[in-house]
Amino acid sequence: MIRPLDPVTSRQRAAYGLAFFVLFVAVWAWATFGGYVSKTFLANPLTMLQEGWELLTTHGFLFDIGMTIWRVVGGFVLATIIAVPLGVLMGAYKPIEAFMEPFVSFARYLPASAFIPLLILWAGIGELQKLLVIFIGSVFQIILMVTVTVGNTRRDLVEAAYTLGAGDRGIINRVLLPSSAPEVAEILRLVLGWAWTYVIVAELIGSSSGIGHMITDSQALLNTGQIIFGIIVIGLIGLISDFLFKAFNAWLFPWKLA
Amino acid sequence: MTELKIDQVARTFPARQGHAPTRALEPIDLNVRNNDFVTILGPSGCGKSTLLRIVAGLDRPTSGRVILDGQEVTGPGADRGMVFQSYTLFPWLSVRENIAFGLRERGVSEADRGKIADGFIDRVGLSGFENHWPKQLSGGMQQRTAIARALANDPKILLLDEPFGALDNQTRVLMQEMLLGIWERDQKTVLFVTHDIEEAIFLGSRVIVMSARPGRIKAEIAVDLPHPRSYKIKTTPEFVSLKERLVEEIRAEALKVAVHA
Repeated sequence: MIRPLDPVTSRQRAAYGLAFFVLFVAVWAWATFGGYVSKTFLANPLTMLQEGWELLTTHGFLFDIGMTIWRVVGGFVLATIIAVPLGVLMGAYKPIEAFMEPFVSFARYLPASAFIPLLILWAGIGELQKLLVIFIGSVFQIILMVTVTVGNTRRDLVEAAYTLGAGDRGIINRVLLPSSAPEVAEILRLVLGWAWTYVIVAELIGSSSGIGHMITDSQALLNTGQIIFGIIVIGLIGLISDFLFKAFNAWLFPWKLA
Repeated sequence: MTELKIDQVARTFPARQGHAPTRALEPIDLNVRNNDFVTILGPSGCGKSTLLRIVAGLDRPTSGRVILDGQEVTGPGADRGMVFQSYTLFPWLSVRENIAFGLRERGVSEADRGKIADGFIDRVGLSGFENHWPKQLSGGMQQRTAIARALANDPKILLLDEPFGALDNQTRVLMQEMLLGIWERDQKTVLFVTHDIEEAIFLGSRVIVMSARPGRIKAEIAVDLPHPRSYKIKTTPEFVSLKERLVEEIRAEALKVAVHA
């Protein structure tokens, strides 16, 4: 019997999570090996693995993976460096928020992919252009979410700090920042996931390396096995980075879990 | 020597859409002498917390002023320590770091901070818990830490806003004894807000009774019970007769609130 909000053990959780992957591959194998879907449109799991092995061994796909990771991380770190301090300032000081927030909200809805033609014009098709796509896609999101998080700091904690003699600097450095830090880390984890979708789009156009570039190449050759392998690699990297980020956050903020 | 003067302090909260302005406090006069333990007793919504927040500098009076040792209060400061009803320990700091927070803000050296904090950890009976996170503490322990945190700053006056209001009855009684023990030993000027009649008598040297909204001082009753007080004092005829008197005072006010509610 499943009852609302009943917890599961961590072992059960892992088993259920794995079961879905197994089910997914099973349905895929059934559809392709069973001949229900044409090979032209969808490669079967074994072909995909073969193609993937070939990509890695003879086509230097590891280099593409490295390039993509570098672009994501580079653009994301740039966005973080700019966005987090700005978000903290906006969350802490309402006039700054009033000044910036409407524009940032507007900019947030500008799709990063729509900037690609412009960015190619401005920055060429080199690495800078790729980084800028990630940057534009991430920076406004982070700013807004950090602003909200900092602005939502518990007022009673701020008041307690004031009655203990804290000044404005003390409030920001020793109340607003530590109290928002875990949530800011969660925001970064979330946005890093989004950054992955932008990088592939950026690499689909005007690129000579990266997972996205490989996918476009394979499309020209109708090699669906390679395309799927590329997609799965992205998913796996996402899963791993998410796990690392979570573990890092838990290590960074033990008081949250205590 | 500490002297707190509340001089014609009134507070009206501005009108919000479709509502008239709320008069929370009628002009209030109150003097608190050095090492006095004054309890402010009143029904919920009588403005007693507002008054305390004004003394703390967290709220501004609409008119009148608060004067502490000849200086007008214009904002919060370390000279007025406050303990809140809600649990306001900093969750990312350990018990010891919480207690040392104010010292750190005031630039006390790390070695001195540790020494002072450890002294207060001992005094509120939290030895062995100094490295715990607030989340790992019971409500009573959290409030003890909060009291220690306020006292560690050595404020001129300690302001307590129903600090034991969220605790169960047994814990509350123990906390009252602990606080009173600290006051009897160290002497401190204290302003303590509560809606609990027994608490107001047991702790206070004077009980200020406030009326229902708009809040004003309805009565002031001296509590001439000897110190040190133990919980046994609560069954003495003197205590009981004070309680009877305050029950009548408060009941009249609570009825007014109930009618409006």
